[in-house]
Amino acid sequence: MTRSTDRILTTHVGSLVRPPELVEYISAIEKGLAVDMKAFDALLQKKVDEVVKRQEQAGIDIVSDGEFGKFRSWSFYVHDRLEGIEERDAQAPRGAGRDQKKFPEFYAEYFPTQKLPKRGTIVCVAPLRYKGQAAVQKDIDIFKTALKGANVAAGFLPVVAPASAVPFSKNEYYKNDEEFLFALADALHEEYAAIVKAGLYVQVDDAFLPYMYDVAFGGEDLAGFRKWAELRVEAVNRALKGIPEEKVRYHICWGSFNTPHTSDIALKDIVDLVLKVKAGAYCIEMGNPRHEHEWRVWENVKLPAGRILVPGVISHSTNVVEHPELVAERLVRLAKLVGRENVMGGTDCGFAQSPHVKRVHESIMWAKLEALAEGARIASRELWGRKAA
Amino acid sequence: MKSSGERILTTHVGSLIRPPLLLQLAVAAKERPAEQQKYLDALREATVAVVKRQGEAGVDIVNDGEYGKSSWANYVLSRMTGFEPRPDTLYEAVWLGRDRFRFKEFMAKEFPRGVKGSPGDACVGPIKYRGHDSIRHNIDDLKAALKSADVAEGFLTAVAPASTGYDAVNEFYGSEREYVFAIAEALREEYLEIYNAGLVLQVDDAVLANMYDELVQKSPQHYRDWAELRVEALNHALRGIPEDRIRYHICFGSWHVPHVADAPLEAIVDLMLSVRAGAYSIEAGNVRHEHEWRVWEKVKLPAGKILIPGVITHHTTTVEHPRLVADRIIQFARLVGRENVIAGTDCGFAQSEGVQRVHPQVMWAKLEALAEGARIASRELWGRKAA
Repeated sequence: MTRSTDRILTTHVGSLVRPPELVEYISAIEKGLAVDMKAFDALLQKKVDEVVKRQEQAGIDIVSDGEFGKFRSWSFYVHDRLEGIEERDAQAPRGAGRDQKKFPEFYAEYFPTQKLPKRGTIVCVAPLRYKGQAAVQKDIDIFKTALKGANVAAGFLPVVAPASAVPFSKNEYYKNDEEFLFALADALHEEYAAIVKAGLYVQVDDAFLPYMYDVAFGGEDLAGFRKWAELRVEAVNRALKGIPEEKVRYHICWGSFNTPHTSDIALKDIVDLVLKVKAGAYCIEMGNPRHEHEWRVWENVKLPAGRILVPGVISHSTNVVEHPELVAERLVRLAKLVGRENVMGGTDCGFAQSPHVKRVHESIMWAKLEALAEGARIASRELWGRKAA
Repeated sequence: MKSSGERILTTHVGSLIRPPLLLQLAVAAKERPAEQQKYLDALREATVAVVKRQGEAGVDIVNDGEYGKSSWANYVLSRMTGFEPRPDTLYEAVWLGRDRFRFKEFMAKEFPRGVKGSPGDACVGPIKYRGHDSIRHNIDDLKAALKSADVAEGFLTAVAPASTGYDAVNEFYGSEREYVFAIAEALREEYLEIYNAGLVLQVDDAVLANMYDELVQKSPQHYRDWAELRVEALNHALRGIPEDRIRYHICFGSWHVPHVADAPLEAIVDLMLSVRAGAYSIEAGNVRHEHEWRVWEKVKLPAGKILIPGVITHHTTTVEHPRLVADRIIQFARLVGRENVIAGTDCGFAQSEGVQRVHPQVMWAKLEALAEGARIASRELWGRKAA
């Protein structure tokens, strides 16, 4: 994997705020309206070209396509790419975890501001198969074309993990949960493999893995949660079978909603499970006040040899732009624990989990990414001395 | 003032979110003088409740939440003669510095005041303090509330000369110096009322830091001249009041904006320390200023002075983990001495009546995290016997 051999490299979690022209098209397509797809594809290519270039200018080394080509969200885009599921009208219960019980009035005000789409329940009714070959190939082709015009170290495409693909679902076809999950993993494997085969890094996004502790296990049943999570980690590894570890990044977070997060599971309680995922790099939140102190986890836990840690050193959870000196401090203290060559500067989460969301205004997002790059330069000077590249 | 002799004490910057009913009654009282007593009764009751709630959250040094003031700074214009509102004049938001240009599009959408400006005031006659009744009400309410609460001490906030009329112009005094000193003399009366009542006085001076970016564009000396005059006036207003009854708060503005143009603390720390106060309350709990604990590696906190760093912030809805709060406190304690640190907040949570920087439920969870973090830090700094 491209790693920080002579300076701290920078990357991010994947989703970036979409340009309004693109959102217009995406909204129309999502609504099933007739759209000139040729014109959409041309616009998409242009916007991905621009966002790749913009990342380069901001000082990001390992860039994404901003997830510009995905519909619905970082997770639910995959529903259009799967055969064997259907969405039923019934409003799926959104998990109501301990955080929501602790802050009922806050959540009652907050959720309506998020304009969350009405979501049905995903039900598995037939054998699961991947049918998104053309869609992922389009993402790949557009991204690779954009990369040709940019001077960056590498490119990655985010995909969804089994646990996060259909988080609140029903299985009416397979004998049990395990069979269902493994069939899902086999289907998702095709998407992962296609990306790596194309010479790109694949990033497997699994926000629901930590998040479900609060929303599905009441923020207290640790044993029950771990059993649930272990099976999902097995499923990720099944989906990654045969894909070289060094081509894979695994991202966990606790949900990007700007909420109190007081019931988030502690990293120390899941870090062993996370490290079981056969990935070369782990992208983990560490840039917000609920998880910032968790750099200390790496005082006690050994990062396996060859693996890379990509801590979030800037966050979408505040409009205030991180000072580059703070970014550097966060990187240096972690580098001292796990080795400078095993650290990359990253973000807590994406900045736009769906085409219709922006966690901060785009001008602030770019200022934050620039602060990330500047902080990585300061950290590199401290860690390598003056000669840092 | 109380200091962290055997454990880390906790406090906050002052403004807390007002209950909706109190806000309604305040409006009613302004429209119909007959409703005034009803408002004052409700204010007393709300003050008693908010002081009690602070005690329950684990805050040691508490205030009235600024419930009896319309805002942290402009409240004082109605407590002085000499100012008249200029509702039709928009004053440019110079206190945002260059952020208002760099993030213009963001401001237009999410903080229109930043690009459009705000209506302000003009000084058109001699400035005299006339807020005695108001400040005495505030004092009486807080003192009544303190009687039934389990807390260490009470403080009241008042605005500094530099922050008085930040959207105002002087059309009356012949020189800037005369104007600023007239404000200071008037404010002195409020400071003395608070001091004489036996409460700790906190002087709020966000604008001292806020004007940095705008003024240094002309020259660093231009800012120094502007700021030094105002610090001199503040010290004049504080004369005779023992330093250990005074806290001085500066911050970089509580608006949820990028803050890229904020002053670096190191550029203004000497100005801050030249204010004759016993404690200094500064931001250190948000991502633009968190790294500035390092300033205290180079700058010596004068003997006997207390630092009140913000270890929780109004800038994000995410509630600080108590372990992070403890880490931040310990970092400061190691540099300036554990007995010289009181754990605080970056800024208030409601800079004026209608404002809430986070939801009230989140504000209280943050104050509880502050107290819990201070307990953890105390155990580590004093060993098991921390009180």
